[in-house]
Amino acid sequence: MRRARRFNINGILVNAAALALVLSYALPYVYLLITSIKPAADVQQIPPSFLPAVVSLENFREVLQSSALPKAFASSLAVAVLTTVFSLAAAVPAAYVATQYRRRITTLFLLFALVTRMVPSVSLGVPLFQLLKSLGLLDTIPGLVLAHTSAAVPLALLLMSAFFEGVPKELEEAARMDGCTRFQAFRKIILPVMIGGIAVTALFTFITSWNEFLYALLLTSEATKTAPIVIAEYNSVYGLAWGAMTAAAVLYSLPVIVVTLALQKQIVGGLTFGAVKG
Amino acid sequence: MSGEDRFVLCMLAPALAVLGLLVAYPVGLLMFDSFFKVDTITPHIRDWVGLKNYIDALTSKRVAESAFRTIQYSVFALFFEFTFGFCAALLFSALPGRSRWHRTVFTLPLMVPPIVAGLLWRFLLVGNIGILNYGLVQLGIIRDPDAIAWLSDEDIVIYSVSFADIWLTTSFVALVSYAGLMNIPKDLLEAARIDGANAVKRFWHVTLPLMRPVIAVIVIVRAVDAAKTFDLIWIQTQGGPNHASEVFSMNIYQRMVRFGDLGEASASGTLFLIVMMLLAAAAYWKIWRPAHA
Repeated sequence: MRRARRFNINGILVNAAALALVLSYALPYVYLLITSIKPAADVQQIPPSFLPAVVSLENFREVLQSSALPKAFASSLAVAVLTTVFSLAAAVPAAYVATQYRRRITTLFLLFALVTRMVPSVSLGVPLFQLLKSLGLLDTIPGLVLAHTSAAVPLALLLMSAFFEGVPKELEEAARMDGCTRFQAFRKIILPVMIGGIAVTALFTFITSWNEFLYALLLTSEATKTAPIVIAEYNSVYGLAWGAMTAAAVLYSLPVIVVTLALQKQIVGGLTFGAVKG
Repeated sequence: MSGEDRFVLCMLAPALAVLGLLVAYPVGLLMFDSFFKVDTITPHIRDWVGLKNYIDALTSKRVAESAFRTIQYSVFALFFEFTFGFCAALLFSALPGRSRWHRTVFTLPLMVPPIVAGLLWRFLLVGNIGILNYGLVQLGIIRDPDAIAWLSDEDIVIYSVSFADIWLTTSFVALVSYAGLMNIPKDLLEAARIDGANAVKRFWHVTLPLMRPVIAVIVIVRAVDAAKTFDLIWIQTQGGPNHASEVFSMNIYQRMVRFGDLGEASASGTLFLIVMMLLAAAAYWKIWRPAHA
């Protein structure tokens, strides 16, 4: 701020516009939060009111006590955790050699990962369904983990490659001088340095799996259906229980949003990484 | 084979296995199945039918309509989220004090699960209790809350279901654009100002050309994502009313699950895959390359 602060009409206009934009942007989700704490009957009233007449936790009680939601949360959590672990175990070492040991195979490999991101999940879902069916893995946690891993590995590879770009080659060379093998250098020197990047990638992978809908719809049913599937079923199975649905949607999305806001800087960094390099 | 090569291969092996077994092999299987008559319930029984699945898919009115709808949806959604997002980024970069708080609010939808965004917008738009129309009545834009049936009017439903998409992804466009704008060297803009270029000229001749690669990435990523959309629309209308919001991905799903026709779903899925690759490649060559030439 080099110029003296003075009231200029432009600044006020820009500020007002930005404020209006941001408020209108946040409003839909705020309305969802507000609706979830109305009594179920008030949710369906005509005309609708923005603010609740009374605050009640009836909708939350409803979904937590008398529905398939708690079990579905457990499935979602198990799938997301396992997907994250497997994807990172596969992607972190591969991203490391792809960026530090450039040769034709690693370049092709990264290109293939990039192309994979373009594959519509419905196209991959058709043969995956068949594959899991023949392996007897339909409607099991491992089956869905395999499907999610196929989507998460390319994502984790590209993110981790971006992080590894910044690691100097000298780090490994110094460790080799001290008598480490390449594997030891990677495990003892490189990984501890990269822990921040690995955490961001893990978070992205976790959320990708947590939010995923289509594979879950295709590949699970009664035994292991995940949270989004159960929430979607409020549409049909229970008629239109809007109150319960809003409460379920809040329970499902709020943790993710809180984590996102807490780690906002890293997440935005991870997102805007690839796009603005070069 | 040197020790170094062995190390590279060992480190690549797990990821190669995943991409090979869970991506390359299924894609191969998809293409293989597309030449057979296969039922979803009994995928091990196959009858060779050659190109019949492709001919059926390409001559089906419903497939053609869903493909056209996918284009309508993607173009509409991309146009608005890009416009809103880019303008928001310009606005944020014009704010004194670096707009931290605004951008915090804007990160919120980044991680909202798509099905929650779909549900939320359905709740805002749905007949009788959708609050959006009551808001429009208050503003005097429409006369009564039943004036626009967003999700049950066959003519407009494909645009209505994209509101959720626009809301959800404007923030992605805004944040990536903002990062790009922050990367533009300040002295370039300053030099243009000294040379007497007004704000519009500076934007047109300095900002926009420098933003070209960033814009290219946004457009490619978002266009591919919008064309693939399934969950957002599914949760709002399940493709209804009367298939009026059935996009291509949903058509493939229905063909496989409802009609149990794995062969034809595979043919459509293969076509979808090829079109996506061509689209991404074309966008890459047209928009991104010239910036690096």
